[in-house]
Amino acid sequence: MLRTALARLEAHALTLGTVATALVLVVVFYYPVATVFVDAVVVGGRVTIAPLVSVLTSRFYLVDIFGFTAYQALLSTIASVLLGLPGAWLLARFEFPGRETLRSLTILPFVMPSIMVAIGFVATFGRNGTLNAVLGALGLPTVDLLFTIEAIVIAHAFYNAPLVARVTTAAWESVDASAVETARSLGASPVRAFRDVVLPQLLPAVAIGATLTFVFTFASFPIVLALGGFQLATVEVFIYSRIQNLAYAEAAALAVVETTLSLGLTYLYLRYEGRQRASGQGARPQPRQSLWPASTSVRSLGTRIGIVAYGLVVLAVFVGPIASMVLTSLTGPQGGLTLDHYLFLLERQQTGASYQVRPLPAIENSLLFGVGTLLVALPMGVVVAVLTTQEFRGRAVVDALSMAPLAVSGIVVGLGLLRGLVFGIEVFGTRVQVTGAIAVVAAHAVGAYPFVTRNVAPLLGNLDPRLVESARSLGASRVRALVDIELPLVAAGVVAGAAFAFAISIGEFDSTVVLAEGSTSYTMPVAVERYLGRRLGPATAMGCVLLAVTSLSFVIIERFGGRYGGRGGF
Amino acid sequence: MQLTLKNVRKEYGETVALGESDEGGGRSGVDLDVDDGEFFTLVGPSGCGKTTTLRLVAGFETPSTGSVRFGGREMRGVPPEERDVGVVFQNYALFPHLSVAENVAYGLRFADPPGGESREERVASLLELVDLSDAGDRDPTELSGGQQQRVALARALAPGPDLLLLDEPMSALDARLRERLRLQVKEIQSTLGITTLYVTHDQEEALAISDRVAVMNDGAVEQVGTPQAVYRRPETRFVAEFVGDNNVFEGRVVSSRAADEFEESRDSVAVEGESPVETEGSEWQGERDGTADRPQRVELDVGGTAITIVTENAVETDDRVAFCVRPEQMRVLASGSEERDGEQSGSRIDIETNVLAATVSGTEFLGESTRTYLRWNDRELTVRSANPLSGEVRIGFAATAAHVVDVERGE
Repeated sequence: MLRTALARLEAHALTLGTVATALVLVVVFYYPVATVFVDAVVVGGRVTIAPLVSVLTSRFYLVDIFGFTAYQALLSTIASVLLGLPGAWLLARFEFPGRETLRSLTILPFVMPSIMVAIGFVATFGRNGTLNAVLGALGLPTVDLLFTIEAIVIAHAFYNAPLVARVTTAAWESVDASAVETARSLGASPVRAFRDVVLPQLLPAVAIGATLTFVFTFASFPIVLALGGFQLATVEVFIYSRIQNLAYAEAAALAVVETTLSLGLTYLYLRYEGRQRASGQGARPQPRQSLWPASTSVRSLGTRIGIVAYGLVVLAVFVGPIASMVLTSLTGPQGGLTLDHYLFLLERQQTGASYQVRPLPAIENSLLFGVGTLLVALPMGVVVAVLTTQEFRGRAVVDALSMAPLAVSGIVVGLGLLRGLVFGIEVFGTRVQVTGAIAVVAAHAVGAYPFVTRNVAPLLGNLDPRLVESARSLGASRVRALVDIELPLVAAGVVAGAAFAFAISIGEFDSTVVLAEGSTSYTMPVAVERYLGRRLGPATAMGCVLLAVTSLSFVIIERFGGRYGGRGGF
Repeated sequence: MQLTLKNVRKEYGETVALGESDEGGGRSGVDLDVDDGEFFTLVGPSGCGKTTTLRLVAGFETPSTGSVRFGGREMRGVPPEERDVGVVFQNYALFPHLSVAENVAYGLRFADPPGGESREERVASLLELVDLSDAGDRDPTELSGGQQQRVALARALAPGPDLLLLDEPMSALDARLRERLRLQVKEIQSTLGITTLYVTHDQEEALAISDRVAVMNDGAVEQVGTPQAVYRRPETRFVAEFVGDNNVFEGRVVSSRAADEFEESRDSVAVEGESPVETEGSEWQGERDGTADRPQRVELDVGGTAITIVTENAVETDDRVAFCVRPEQMRVLASGSEERDGEQSGSRIDIETNVLAATVSGTEFLGESTRTYLRWNDRELTVRSANPLSGEVRIGFAATAAHVVDVERGE
């Protein structure tokens, strides 16, 4: 009796998983986003397009907010491409010790919490930051880069230049040496062969990297909030400030316009990416040259000087902020090494009004939410991966619907959850209300599961379908075949996806800061933001804790998913 | 267990993978009957629907229309895991994370071993059956292709399936290994007496291994029969050309009359000293429509050349007739390089009934014989000879060597 019931459950487990995943998505993603859309057109119980019209006709919104958002995104994209391309050249064409490690490290920014990067930049470029300390020691005038667009652009480059480098390196390595050799044997000079054979294969990759960078930086929130403040507000920051002022209709109207724009951009990106995906398999890569030249010619010397200069820039942009953060976290108010800031993190009780966000609960919350996210996002991600690797009618729609969370900003999801489930809604006469903690985990899971899918789906897709067919003809149900055969064979992708999910939850800021407003479900990134400006020391100390956690996740991703991570999770 | 396919069609959108294409409004599907314990082979070129048929039987695909029955039981809606079939694929599809023994034992997680054996005993006896007793603890990836395929066979057989399905199992192996393994497969099959459906594109393999063969083309079954019947008496032009080498001629009937006593049984004519071929009367007589009561001696006009054949098909003057003559039935009578191609033990008169003057266009030395390509009246012919030929040759074949594959009624 029980056995047949179990067998029946097993036979439909995949269907149940699909239904559960769809339900979770509807409740914690589509419904909240719909709430925001409704908020934008229903004010005080009346349908009105006034908020949308006011956004779309206001010079302030169009030029100062959306204009500035696009402008900084464009500058950030240019900076990222300029900083990333030499890196791609170095990684693809030169051989040197640590090349593989460096290549792996290009995925690291992806899992770094953006608020942590922001605090690293504050520690570097702030009035009392490392940069000014260095300049002061050299007897030079100090600069104040904080709250300038330059700081925002450099921070965005920190994030996205590795992405550009990663995507371009992959394309460069897939250029077949035979094609270049054929061009040379037909009479092309090295420069001509590069222009005619290599460049056409690199440009699509550069375009993909640049488009992704634009999409990401257009929706960038914590970096702009921390480094630009409300003076240099992008759409996201402005929506956040409207939410803080309880101007929900205005926030919702802005969110609708922003979401529409970013969905459009993502759609264009996916279409372009889909057309460009080249196999590049079986290609014999071009030989790399040694970083230390065998002979010294003027040309090779020039190249090496260029590489050294680039290395210094990389050190300043990438290592500088992280080192400054670590350094500041260990420096006392009067200078000198101290662990005070870390001890502060361990203190359970703080007195004074400025400590509404206490450190220890923030750490506990972060870890708790991280585990919670893992438990929800992992099954969801695997179910979606299984679905997207199967052939059925309407697959493209399922693909799009399940990957939409990648394109919708956390602020919008957070706002929707806040206005809906957290404030409470009526369902069939019963009042349904969830706590902030559950809402935070839900929002994190929705943001994290696409990364599980992205890590698992390619591996599943590469598996021979006959393995599952063999298992089934031997008596295994579909779910048993998944558990016995497929999951063990894609375990690396599952582990990498889990690490991604955990890292994303730990670093998530956008929706958390909205949902944690005035509640006790704040996390480390929220705490970092609150301490920023008031006390840099504790902020950097907590930034270091974040760094440790995400570095650990990175090691796991690299160990298990590095081979398949492809486009840095993309 | 008996396997029956009744009017089975499989379509993917507009594409018809199995069954006749829609032209002319015909929506007919495939019919097959595989007897209990039979070794039945589907053979045909790629895209002919043979693998689709196997996948429909395994339950990996669902027929668009028609029914698949196992021993009379309708299988529509029965998932693969409840069909009790063993499947062996071309690429082995062994589970790479499990050892050889674990692979073989996998199906025993869901079913008790047949015959009251313990799981361990069952795995051991199957590994012994495929000569891999010592390989149980090894990784499947460490094994050679042939060994992996034997593990796949053992794995498929372990739960004691009612039906064994083999999808091009030898195609990834080299020629010599293929021949050895197919002997072993055939031996295991007849020892166990398990009903077996075998899919291959290799007609030679199909003839060598099967009790019966279904030749498929373009989604339809062209002919079902024993290997001998399919080889000697192809029913369609496609079968004639697909199974073995063949020479197909087309001609117009000039006259026909009842054959002489002497020629009544075509197979009694000894060619090249072969022992007379057995005739399976039941298949021979009345198998096709339009069978004449007695063999007829038919004079044909083949592109201006007069050819005489003996056939049981009823033909009338002005009918268009397609017939085939196997290369080994054609004798080289004289060539520029060689007066006589060995001693003739058969009847010279028969061989010289039809004589064609042709030009050698190419030869392939095959070891035991030479395959010679000839040009005759703008068509290519193939003959077998003991020694390489060149230049102009005269070839002949007996009236009884011809086999009619198609008759089109005249005006």
